[in-house]
Amino acid sequence: MLWGGWIWAAASAPVEFNRDVRPILSDRCYTCHGPDRASRQSPLRLDQEQSAHPALAHILERITSTDTGFRMPPAYMGRERLTDAEIDVLRRWIEQGGKYEPHWSLIPPKKAALPAVREPSWPRNPVDAFVLARLEHEGTAHAPDADPSTLVRRLSFDLTGLPPTPAETQAFLADRSPDAYEKLVDRLLASPRYGERMAIRWLEAARYADTNGYSNDGPRDMWRWRDWVIGAFNRNMPFDRFTVEQIAGDLLPDATVSQRVATAFNRNHRTSAEGGIVDEEFRLGYVGDRVETTSTVWLGTTIGCARCHDHKYDPYTQKEYYQLSAFFNNTPDRGFVYNFGNEPPYIHAPLPEQQAKLDALDAKIAAARQRLDSLEPAVDHAYAAWTPPAEWNVREGLVTGTPQLEYKDPFTFAARITPKSPKGAILSIGEDYFEGKGHYLLLIDGKLRLHVTFRYSDLSLRVETADALPPGKTQHVLVTYDGGMRAKGVHMYVDGRDMPLKVLFDYGIWPIENKEPLRIGAGAGLRWDGAIDDVRIYKRALSPREAALVAMTDAAARARTRDAFLDLAPPHEYLAARAALHELERDRAGLMASIPTVMVMEELPHPRDTFVLKRGAYDAPGDKVEPRTPAVLPPFQPGWPANRLGLARWLVDRGNPLTARVTVNRFWQMLWGVGLVKTVEDFGSQGEWPAHQELLDWLAVEFMDSGWDVKHIMKTMVMSAAYRQASRETPQSLEKDPENRLLARGARFRLPAEMIRDQALAVSGLLVERAGGPSVKPYQPPGLWQELFGGKGYVADHGDGLYRRSIYTYWRRTVAPPAMMSFDSPSREVCVVREERTNTPLQALNLMNDTVYLEASRKLAERMVKGGGIESGVRLVLGRDPRPAERTVLTAALEKFRARYRAHPGDAAKYLTQGESPRDPSIQPAELASWTAVASLLLNMDEAVTRQ
Amino acid sequence: MNAITRRHFFGRSATGLGAAALWSLAGGTARAKGGLTGLPHFAPRAKRVIYLFQSGGPSQMETFDYKPRLKDFQGTDLPESIRQGQRLTQMSSAQASFPVVPSKFAFAQHGQSGAWVSELMPYTAKVADDLTFVKSTYTDAINHDPAVTFLQTGSQIAGRPSMGSWVVYGLGSETEDLPAFVVMISPGAGGTGQPLYDRLWGAGFLPSRYQGVKFRSVGDPVLYLSNPEGFGGAERRDYLDALAKLNQGTMDEFGDPEISTRIAQYEMAFRMQSSVPDLVDFSKETAATIDSYGPDARKPGTYAYNCLLARRLAERGVRFIQLYHRDWDHHGGLPKALPKLCRQTDQPTAALIADLKQRGMLDDTLVVWGGEFGRTVYCQGRLTADDYGRDHHPRCFTVWMAGGGIRPGITLGKTDDYCYNITERPVHVYDLQATILNCLGIDHTRLTFLFKGRHFRLTDVGGNAVKEILRA
Repeated sequence: MLWGGWIWAAASAPVEFNRDVRPILSDRCYTCHGPDRASRQSPLRLDQEQSAHPALAHILERITSTDTGFRMPPAYMGRERLTDAEIDVLRRWIEQGGKYEPHWSLIPPKKAALPAVREPSWPRNPVDAFVLARLEHEGTAHAPDADPSTLVRRLSFDLTGLPPTPAETQAFLADRSPDAYEKLVDRLLASPRYGERMAIRWLEAARYADTNGYSNDGPRDMWRWRDWVIGAFNRNMPFDRFTVEQIAGDLLPDATVSQRVATAFNRNHRTSAEGGIVDEEFRLGYVGDRVETTSTVWLGTTIGCARCHDHKYDPYTQKEYYQLSAFFNNTPDRGFVYNFGNEPPYIHAPLPEQQAKLDALDAKIAAARQRLDSLEPAVDHAYAAWTPPAEWNVREGLVTGTPQLEYKDPFTFAARITPKSPKGAILSIGEDYFEGKGHYLLLIDGKLRLHVTFRYSDLSLRVETADALPPGKTQHVLVTYDGGMRAKGVHMYVDGRDMPLKVLFDYGIWPIENKEPLRIGAGAGLRWDGAIDDVRIYKRALSPREAALVAMTDAAARARTRDAFLDLAPPHEYLAARAALHELERDRAGLMASIPTVMVMEELPHPRDTFVLKRGAYDAPGDKVEPRTPAVLPPFQPGWPANRLGLARWLVDRGNPLTARVTVNRFWQMLWGVGLVKTVEDFGSQGEWPAHQELLDWLAVEFMDSGWDVKHIMKTMVMSAAYRQASRETPQSLEKDPENRLLARGARFRLPAEMIRDQALAVSGLLVERAGGPSVKPYQPPGLWQELFGGKGYVADHGDGLYRRSIYTYWRRTVAPPAMMSFDSPSREVCVVREERTNTPLQALNLMNDTVYLEASRKLAERMVKGGGIESGVRLVLGRDPRPAERTVLTAALEKFRARYRAHPGDAAKYLTQGESPRDPSIQPAELASWTAVASLLLNMDEAVTRQ
Repeated sequence: MNAITRRHFFGRSATGLGAAALWSLAGGTARAKGGLTGLPHFAPRAKRVIYLFQSGGPSQMETFDYKPRLKDFQGTDLPESIRQGQRLTQMSSAQASFPVVPSKFAFAQHGQSGAWVSELMPYTAKVADDLTFVKSTYTDAINHDPAVTFLQTGSQIAGRPSMGSWVVYGLGSETEDLPAFVVMISPGAGGTGQPLYDRLWGAGFLPSRYQGVKFRSVGDPVLYLSNPEGFGGAERRDYLDALAKLNQGTMDEFGDPEISTRIAQYEMAFRMQSSVPDLVDFSKETAATIDSYGPDARKPGTYAYNCLLARRLAERGVRFIQLYHRDWDHHGGLPKALPKLCRQTDQPTAALIADLKQRGMLDDTLVVWGGEFGRTVYCQGRLTADDYGRDHHPRCFTVWMAGGGIRPGITLGKTDDYCYNITERPVHVYDLQATILNCLGIDHTRLTFLFKGRHFRLTDVGGNAVKEILRA
């Protein structure tokens, strides 16, 4: 049996191609004899049946040769000789007929008959039948059940990410009913903490973060998606629906806001706002990230390897990679993005209470509109009787003097011009050279042109009329901009007519900070030749109707308009109704501004063309491709649309051999520290052969049979006797199976980063539990951001924000929270699904000296002093009673610290200053300091940071 | 630790599963701890690397690549025969013209080797014979983030292990009290400069213990190093003794070797608490030594301070020492800004070379100086009588190397008269990386890690060590 390089099989045992042979051929031979056409060096293929090939007979000779020039794999490629054990496997494979099989993970899973076992009293459910049969076959004994107190702590962490309270532990120990364990499991699965526990691994897979990730690493708002994920787990949304909504919620009929929020999954990738980047290069990079993430999370395949060439080990061609990428290539997003918030497309995702307010306001606005409309006859009547003045023009928002305009401010520029030259400046508020910083209204080649520039080369908005204006003629020009940072928010009117436009550059996405004066007939290094009259600047975008009014040449006629009447002499009732409507609209705008947004997926009305990119390079397109799934996987049903929705249906189709397996394997990893297939991200040729394939397949089928019921499959796993085993190790068990792949004992592994911190908050009473919401900023070391980015850097919250669960901690990708990183959190830059655990001195320093743990120690100490002493501290942190030896050590330590702090009360006072929470004044500082040190000892114990 | 546990611990380490490979446990029998078996692949000439990364992209035309003919071309448009339709950044691609602008600064030849060095680098000029200049380095990336990431990790897309992580993964550590891979950052003259990111010294898909440890200029040099106020070293010792007893109790019950490792890691943490303060205590350095690094050498967080600290780290066996000095990104205002950067870095850099040499450490310490790309010969933005700027230029830039493994006093490679294209001996980033690994006794094609089914390496699928500059 080959597990990560260990060969266990007895010399005479029959070899299995998939289990024993393929891993060797894949790793050692497929580079030249595998699926990649381009790198194939020989007509001999070892990835598929080709038995007639004459070279096959010479394999043994070649791999065993001592002549390095003749030997395979070739020494000149830097390849080592196969090991004797590997050669032996290949020898036996050839002797036994050299049979090929398709890769195991491509054959749909089936439930095997439950194997017979010699100890039928042990299995509690089918999981155990597979585990026990294997143990009996290997001649290994299973472990006894873990202590109840160990079990309740294990379950609490595994299902909710937090430790049990002493009372919860006591209740479980006291419950003598036969289903006490099941009741505990059900209670934990029903806890709202369950969703948070499940969500954090999903967030890591989805590379969720609060910033963009490249270069200046500006902020974004994606937390409404995080809320969605937590809610979906808590409501036990079936995994197939969970999939469809995240991949293609926007394409569902009558998609709800929630379904559209779900699609943020594929907008969580990093984006770049670095000046000078090539937009298309990065945009295609984002598409690639979506392919990579989706194929890792659902398919456990490394099809991303086929971006530049055919896959070297698995049967995916480069063309198939681009066919898959075509599903994700249709979003109207850009490569070069906004640096200060969400990049379109995004939607408003109101919280429930905000939605209620919005609905109420919308009803009021509708009523106010109706009221205004009802007054029209009265207006007509009054208008008919009105004596107009000699002159009038649109007044609202008119600016006098030099306006201060920023890139997000709406405006209107208007003037009556008589150009004598096709090139000149009508007005400007900016530096006086062509590529200067500022706002400019110009005539270039006779065309009316707007520049809003921070940096001409890459951070600028430039729009012009499609056609040139007639030279020499006096005409009215008017340009409006809605402040939306996009060229589509620009309109240009000539003599009141809305003109067709040409967008020259569409990146008006950077602050301008301009102190230049308003220049009329000058700017951008240009001067005006001709006449300019009636220059008007508004700090809002005029409507088309208003544009036409301003353009009118007959001032008296304009003064006679109904608009003039409504502006100057509206009937009192009308005035009041209009003011009421405007106020409601202002309220609504204010509310909308406070509603969180989230970046989502959208389909372009006309799909973008997708091409095979040679060597993966954005500027080397080859053949055009259509959206399609890889040929080696089950077919795409004709009834499915050829878009993301069809892709999502395909992913969770019953015939898909991968999705269920890959998903239950990740759940298994959450409970055992390692998946049944250790390479949770790779179920391909280079991935690990499953340690228990029949068990994996049974779980996968059970998962689908249950309607993709996540809580059901989690419950099935934790209800098993295998899960409940004690995790003690012996020299024998370590010798035979150091990684516990046979599952002959319970799993014992260090807690994930977030649980370590959350536990400290919980046992000290500091934890503030509140589901969802924006990210919070707990304590971080001083200067954390300044050194890399300058500026005012990281500013920690005060109060509740310091004590929320770690899933809510603000995640800046380029300076990820250091404590999370030192405890092996993925950096959230790319999709990561494998759980890793290291054991380093930096972790020790973190747990001993980080403010959060010192503060938690102080608060835990207060609890211990107030009642129960060492006993209660051990119960809170370890969920059990102290052993006598521990009591002795802790008491001795306490006495030492007491002696020290009584002699140096000043040190005690200093030691107690950590953290923002108030200190209990009823406890003597020296006493509290001594207990704080003891509490810190408890939080630093190996057992405290381990689920066992 | 009992015998089974101990054996188990090292067994796991060797397969990359256990813990403290970087931070070794046992007391000094073997020298390097935690490296791969079979490495180094051949006799190393350097034991460690000091990489002086000049972040932002220093202009090669104002520093080392002397181009006298540019005076003749001044103000003329860069000919299409030279540019050859090559891509530009979006910052200057919209420019109407590309006027050639020569260096404002004078050059002279120095030392026996006759190396050309600009007047902005007088101290470097004095050690020119110890350096080897590669004037024909080139890269694939055109913007900072991808280019720095490419140089540090061999891929423009972040996520792969950095060079330092690869080296430590392969060779292990020679120190028991300090991290094997240390990173230090200094701000440029005009503020911080282009952003840098933790991932540049990240371990990528290698186990996280191989990531670089950033020594900070604010607060603790190493995060969470200091005990809290009111809790001193004596208390910490008592504390750790008690903790070890508690953990040993758990070990006795559960037999999990990770527990023994954790006990050892707490001891290592304790050792670091004294070794790091000792490291940054310059009181035993002579005034002459400190002064040789220039006026900033006593100011923590400056490039000069970091250079001196680099030497002290090298002395203590730190394997990979990575400095970043920022703000070389001179799109505009180059004639005023560049000399400031040179003043900040020239003297400390040269002093480091001299100091290492004088201590006999230059023989086994490889020093590398360079940025992520070069700069364009044409002016970016407004060209005036005394002002100009230069855009990013990936097609040629100068990197110099010195010390362990490098033949000194060579100038390798040439660029054309416009300093735009390479005319002789191109050296790709992968070649540079392969050369650095070669000095350390590593065949870059054989230092690999299996991830997502592929054997990854620093140089991806490219790279050849530059034999001409390697010492036999």
